[in-house]
Amino acid sequence: MSNYYNMPKLPTADSPQVAIFVDGKEVIVPGDTNLLEALKTIGIKTPHMCYHPHLPVAGNCRQCLVELEDLRGRTLVIACFTPVTPGMKVFTPSTSARVKNARKATSEFMLVNHPLDCPICDKAGECSLQENYMENGQESRLRPEVGKQYHGNPDNTFVDSKGQVRGGKRVALGPRITLDEERCVHCDRCVRFMRHVAGDEQLQLAARGDHTYIMTFPGQPLDHEYDLCVTDICPVGALTANHFRFQQRVWLLSRTPSISMDDSLGANIWIDHNNGKVWRLMPRCNPEVNRSWLSNTSRLAYLNFCKGRLAPGHLKVVVDLLKKSKKVALVAGGQCTLEDLAAFKMLKESLGDKAQMFGGTLRPIEAPDGIAKSGDSMANRAGFKCLGIPDNNLGDLIERASEFDVLLTVHNDIFGDSESAEALKKIPSRIVLSAFNDATAHAATLLWGVNHWSEVTGSMINSLQILQKLTAAPTSPNPELKPAYEVLSILAGKPLTSAISALQKVHEYVPALKPYSYENIRSTGVKLDGVLL
Amino acid sequence: MAKTIKVCTDNFGKGAQDIAVYKKLGGYTSISSRLFDLSQFEVIDMVKRSNLRGRGGAGFPTGLKWSFVPRHTGKPVYIVVNADEGEPGTFKDHFLMNEDPHRLIEGLIIAGWALGSRTAYIYVRGEFLPCIESLNKAISQAYVDGLLGENIGGTKFSFDIYVHRGAGAYICGEETALINSLEGKRGEPRLKPPFPAVSGAWKSPTCVNNVETLMALPWIFQNSPEAYAAIGTGCAGGTKVFCVSGDVKRTGVYEVPIGTPMMDLLNSPDYAGGIDGVLKGVIPGGSSCPVLLPEECEKATLDYECMISLNTMFGSGAVMPFNTTRDVVVLLNTLGNFYSHESCGQCTPCREGTGYAKRVINSILRGEGHDGDLELLLSLAEQYNGTTICPLAPALGQPMSAFINKYRSEFDAYIEKNPNHASPRISATHRPGAFW
Amino acid sequence: MNIIQGAVHFVANNKLTFEKGPMPIKPYPSAANQVGHKNKLYPQPSMEEILPKLETPAVKVRIADLLSRYPEPQGALLEVLWVIQEVLGWVPRESIRWASKVCDCSPAHAYGVVTFYTMYKQVPTGRYLLQFCRNICCEQKGASGIIAYTEKALKIKTGETTPDGLFTIVQVECLGACGNAPVMLVNDEFATDVEGGKLTMRDGITLTPERVDKILKWCYDRSEKYEEEPVRDALGGTLVGHKGHPGAPGSSAKPQEMDYAPACPVLGLKAVAEKSGVTLTWKNAPEFTHLVVERADGSSWKKVGEPSVKDKEFIDPTGLAGMAYRMIATSGDRVAKPSTEEKAV
Repeated sequence: MSNYYNMPKLPTADSPQVAIFVDGKEVIVPGDTNLLEALKTIGIKTPHMCYHPHLPVAGNCRQCLVELEDLRGRTLVIACFTPVTPGMKVFTPSTSARVKNARKATSEFMLVNHPLDCPICDKAGECSLQENYMENGQESRLRPEVGKQYHGNPDNTFVDSKGQVRGGKRVALGPRITLDEERCVHCDRCVRFMRHVAGDEQLQLAARGDHTYIMTFPGQPLDHEYDLCVTDICPVGALTANHFRFQQRVWLLSRTPSISMDDSLGANIWIDHNNGKVWRLMPRCNPEVNRSWLSNTSRLAYLNFCKGRLAPGHLKVVVDLLKKSKKVALVAGGQCTLEDLAAFKMLKESLGDKAQMFGGTLRPIEAPDGIAKSGDSMANRAGFKCLGIPDNNLGDLIERASEFDVLLTVHNDIFGDSESAEALKKIPSRIVLSAFNDATAHAATLLWGVNHWSEVTGSMINSLQILQKLTAAPTSPNPELKPAYEVLSILAGKPLTSAISALQKVHEYVPALKPYSYENIRSTGVKLDGVLL
Repeated sequence: MAKTIKVCTDNFGKGAQDIAVYKKLGGYTSISSRLFDLSQFEVIDMVKRSNLRGRGGAGFPTGLKWSFVPRHTGKPVYIVVNADEGEPGTFKDHFLMNEDPHRLIEGLIIAGWALGSRTAYIYVRGEFLPCIESLNKAISQAYVDGLLGENIGGTKFSFDIYVHRGAGAYICGEETALINSLEGKRGEPRLKPPFPAVSGAWKSPTCVNNVETLMALPWIFQNSPEAYAAIGTGCAGGTKVFCVSGDVKRTGVYEVPIGTPMMDLLNSPDYAGGIDGVLKGVIPGGSSCPVLLPEECEKATLDYECMISLNTMFGSGAVMPFNTTRDVVVLLNTLGNFYSHESCGQCTPCREGTGYAKRVINSILRGEGHDGDLELLLSLAEQYNGTTICPLAPALGQPMSAFINKYRSEFDAYIEKNPNHASPRISATHRPGAFW
Repeated sequence: MNIIQGAVHFVANNKLTFEKGPMPIKPYPSAANQVGHKNKLYPQPSMEEILPKLETPAVKVRIADLLSRYPEPQGALLEVLWVIQEVLGWVPRESIRWASKVCDCSPAHAYGVVTFYTMYKQVPTGRYLLQFCRNICCEQKGASGIIAYTEKALKIKTGETTPDGLFTIVQVECLGACGNAPVMLVNDEFATDVEGGKLTMRDGITLTPERVDKILKWCYDRSEKYEEEPVRDALGGTLVGHKGHPGAPGSSAKPQEMDYAPACPVLGLKAVAEKSGVTLTWKNAPEFTHLVVERADGSSWKKVGEPSVKDKEFIDPTGLAGMAYRMIATSGDRVAKPSTEEKAV
């Protein structure tokens, strides 16, 4: 609850640098942030549960205590709510026994009513409580028989075979989320997320004291476009996502940083994969783009990544068809990376005047939701503009469909809509480059399966003019599948065999992008100058 | 011997609930005769000079608190009266509001004038429905009399008072929790800063004052701030209403000047009339304050400094003596139950720690204590200190360590009732991970 | 061998065994487990059942009055819930949803609020809810004996309701009447005795078994006298004459006018004569916009300087001991009355 409007101030590149004393040593830290973030910049990790950089500060876990010396002597303060002031004297556990004991005590208190079922906990391996305990505690003076006395949601408590009162272990909080009431440490991150970020206070703490439990209004499921974010921010295994629950141990997963190409905001994601299969998509923190959030649509998109995939096609047929054609309509879709678009442009150039480029989406553009979606499903729209490819002339194509004898689409489901499908079917030859067997693939006369965006390395420009890079996750269902740029460049007659060479092609078309190679596009992207576009 | 100046309790038993009687007794004269000629700063200056300190427990100087409230921010200023009197042993506000609601209204109008407030809320704890009824009646009378509402007394000043009924949460006596509760939220204390004076109720400047603090204002206006300051000690002016409960001949509410020796209050025939039985200890200030042994009580005077020098607190003015027939383990057990029940559940040390301490004390009381339990409780008390948002957990920790340190033998006797007390509760090789 | 009890321990073959110890966790009669913030499941009425009782003209008027008192509707949530409890006798779940709609907050928020506070009854109780304080003062003076006596007299345990639906016993934390300890609340009335057919709590009168009997008898008599318990306004009666919080829904009140009070004069003026002249000090006020220092010049006053509002002192180099000074402050366009006259010493 607390004062829920005090968002933490995060350090930026232009933060003033101030000198403070940490454990007696003078260090330079950003001056406009809280102590927890400042200590992070000098490599001191402060354990915390309730603090989250993109949520208002609640200061209730009391795990991040540090000692502060002022005129009144040394006092314990929470690092997450203490602003940095020049010359402040801070003491961390490495020199202060009091801080060490206080953190250990907090860690113990947290474990009093927390079940120690880590082996069967889905969050094991990425649990803050586990990490803090290993760091601070490891031995407990608190005595479990007197200590453990679980109270909580009376609707779900039960008595187990050992006579112990237990909390609900599998409470269906909503269609996508399962709650383990015993494991909740009452950090109220999920409550703050739903209230402050999602703007719909569906979750709330009920009761008080050690009876506190997390709940939705009885009988009302947790249902929101961003509700799965609460499972990311839950520091323990209380809130788990049904789609990932008991699928994989997290330490077996490899993470590939990429961009969600569902939306033109280009939410930064981690592709968590193991054995060539994507197990989940997680938001990757980018303060300027999606912060720490990801919509359910983008997050659950991975469930379809390996469904209905197309096989590679035959080169010669397509090349012949293009050679014979009189007038070709080339249609690119929003999920094309800059590399795909460069190859697309090469193809247009190789075909000369008989080809015309089209781009755009038939899906309606919605208003941005202010969290992690811009509402525009054409992810790389800014990239189209940047390369000088039309980004909104599909209407033109549908009108003039009868003029063309060959249609080539790349990552664009233009047959989804029945009206446009009617018109476009007038084009006799329809070549479709797509990852999935969608409506357009059904309408194709020639099909060519290509890699999905999660399986390619590339770059895109999002709606905020930030150049972001995608990294290929090794999850392609068919090793013979190629990225779209490779296929297009083969059709153009100048094969690009790697993403780097494709990026060089992008640089040729747009010299302003020359400074940016895969090495120096930061993981959070590069803000491009507005002048460029 | 104490002077018999009554600042707040003068109208007790005189039927002052009615505005006509209250006016006959000299009520509302500060407003009709003086207030509207004074500037806001002059009123605050008067309160500063009177050396009035907050009577709710923390003892913050009232004039200083008022001077922190910013003006001309474009936001309304709220005055919230803290009548969520929940501290065990304290019942003065209950009587003050019942007997003399108009004095509180008069004090509030003075505060409203000084702070530029438009609206005041009296947050009364839910159990005090009779007080709420008496207040509502008095406020309605004040509206009829033109003392509240718009353009009071022909000035441009408008002021409203509403009573807000709480619903049973001790923690709402903490000012930021009270503000949350007033806003219709769970009564969880907020992080500070910002302090309520700057950003309180509905993010507006808010001044939270205790009932008794405000009720001292009419007297200060009718007499003089200097006269009020002269009653008390150098550090705190005026009188204090003490609530004497427990083992005395006459329990009740007594108003004495600050600085009066504690034993005078307990033994004087004007006041409590002597101890019932043999004194074993006194809890001063309310249940959150560490207990005093009889020899400490002899030295104690009822003021802020003396109480701090005795490692306890002045608190909200409760004085709870208990005699030698009382069992301190039982008393501490009630405190453990109370604080774990009233913890709001925000901070980990308080949420889990108070419940943990409660269960340890419970087991000692049942004769199932073990050696080392008392050390455990003492270390818990230490761990509450300074690690939480609000002082609820320390409010258990401090009396707990005082009780254990001062009456250790009685706790030991309870532990020895357990035939297995010497064996550890649990093996040294125990790993918590194996328990569930 | 020391047998470790009550815990799991490892044995040589690395198998886990569990021995249940002799010390099970006995539930202590905690107020939390009674009517308060933890309740057994109770059949909940549907919205259709409660709406006709809640959406009456009288309740609507009261709720409109409550909403007008707070700048945001959510402020009235606690009070609206009280009204619900008064009308329905308890707070069923669907009524919480109704309250959340009235107060413009989410149902989950309202539910969190209801469960936070202990006085909202989430289950119906007996006609007379006997709330016994069992905190430190009352316990010291024998509350547990009184509670045990009442439990025996009514043949129920704490937290239970008598089969005739008349009484429910609850133990609560401090009731704020420690001078009369032990005390109880009968519904909303403090009671340690019955005098003249009324529940009373007089100075020094505490609960004893005899007085408990008297109070119970009073309850029985009353239940015979009245078919239903007369309703007592949960918010302590209506408040007449107010116009609400400025800007609140249904409020016609105007906001506070700036500068309603007279401008602030300079306070605490002190004049000290030294070799270098007369030094004036005063108390600064945040509202000052302009200051003028004047010196007595015969019967009239002569301006000697205009210190800035941030200055802490003013030195009149030509001043001498015995000269009278005064200061005039201005706050915006309001000129304050002159300060007291101070002779330099």
